[in-house]
Amino acid sequence: MGDILEVKDLSKRYDDFELKNISFNLPKGMIMGLIGENGAGKTTTIKAILDIIKDYKGNIKIFGLSNRKDDKRIKEDIGVVLDDMFFPEILTPTDINSVMKDTFKNWDSDLYFKYLNDFSLPKSKQVKTFSRGMRKKLEIAVAISHHPKLLILDEPTSGLDPIARNEVIDIFQDFIQNEECSILISSHITTDLEHIADYITFINKGEILLSKTKDELLDNYGIVKCTEKEFKNFDNKDYIRYKKNKYDYEVLVENKKEFNKIYKVSTIDKVTLEDLMVLMIKGVE
Amino acid sequence: MIGLIKKDLLMLKGNCKVFIIMLLIYTGLGIYGQADLSFLIPFMSFLMMMTTFNYDAYNKWDAYVVTLPNGRKNSVKAKYLATLILILVASIIVTILSLIIAYSKNNTDYESLLLVILGCTFATVLLEVFMYPAIYKFGVEKARIGVLVIVFAIIFVEEFMRKYIDFYAISKVFDVFNDYIFLALPITMVLSLFISYSISASIYMKKEF
Repeated sequence: MGDILEVKDLSKRYDDFELKNISFNLPKGMIMGLIGENGAGKTTTIKAILDIIKDYKGNIKIFGLSNRKDDKRIKEDIGVVLDDMFFPEILTPTDINSVMKDTFKNWDSDLYFKYLNDFSLPKSKQVKTFSRGMRKKLEIAVAISHHPKLLILDEPTSGLDPIARNEVIDIFQDFIQNEECSILISSHITTDLEHIADYITFINKGEILLSKTKDELLDNYGIVKCTEKEFKNFDNKDYIRYKKNKYDYEVLVENKKEFNKIYKVSTIDKVTLEDLMVLMIKGVE
Repeated sequence: MIGLIKKDLLMLKGNCKVFIIMLLIYTGLGIYGQADLSFLIPFMSFLMMMTTFNYDAYNKWDAYVVTLPNGRKNSVKAKYLATLILILVASIIVTILSLIIAYSKNNTDYESLLLVILGCTFATVLLEVFMYPAIYKFGVEKARIGVLVIVFAIIFVEEFMRKYIDFYAISKVFDVFNDYIFLALPITMVLSLFISYSISASIYMKKEF
């Protein structure tokens, strides 16, 4: 199984922010979730992959080709949903079809209009009359109607109600049935990623804190809830982060079975991506 | 690139009704009174295209368009070509209507009429030539203000210098070109457009969104 996307040592410096040596690989047929708080560097990473920003260091390969030298060829096979960046809102979905069929070689108008029907989106109304959720669905329909091999999605489910989110996630899962296709998705809605992602890459303050398979994270990582007295017995090399609450301590451990063998604690909870984010960001090393 | 040209033209379809009404009113005024239609050329092309830049900026289109397979240069090229198409269409419509008005008034000085229209077309192209690199560099709002400041500065300097320089005498130097005006203006337009496009494209190639 080859990698559809390879990011190596990606760095970009701004006055007030720096992306530092971001590296990860996305294999074919897989979904990778990018998580991290606002301003962590998720969108900057996506923008670099898509060559929207310039003057970054590092190598990015998509389908084995350079994202800078072979950008036109690569972009024929990429579908994109970016946060708040889209067609001018005075156009209608029918206008967008007209533009896209002269933009992508593989644009499939029938598939596009099928998605519009499935999402109950009007064809001839200007996008400015759409709710945020409708607009997001339209962006997704546009992103997948040219049979891309890679979807790059920045907050694709934000603003969608639970029903619509479910519909969208189903579409992503259908998309990934073709094992030649992959998805890179950044989202704050970590429960969505728990449903669909195969890999999780966690970015914080411009650096990758971890990049692992979701199963590895959710099965192995754990949260120990304990008293201060118990916590003081723990060697700090055996946990990743801890957080002191009003009445107890929450301790994030990388391998709950190993930890339990050593300390025989009464309860180790399964970790959710949200717990992981909070403890990794707010917790103490 | 055809898709991108289409996108700009589709964005302007809502303005068509307004321009048809304006054309009818001014044609009527031209036939039954006094009206010159040539001012409609910049209105129907350049100023309309400025609204597309506004919408593009509002919807962060530039960040989206670079994710499409057109390439950055073609995005800029499409904007220039869409503008040229509009200028051409507006000039043809204005020429036809102006000829109808002239014919209805038994005015047979078609050469002067065509010269005025060609002059207006040239002026509109010049607006594109100067404004577009500024828009790509600074954005629509800053570019608009910048160009207004420059135009007023030129007028101010010209008024001030008028006491010391005989501009009329200088303009006489260019009378040599009068015989070739129908050839010289289009060639100048094409050359200046090419230079302007090259500057805009080089700005856009380096731009971050």
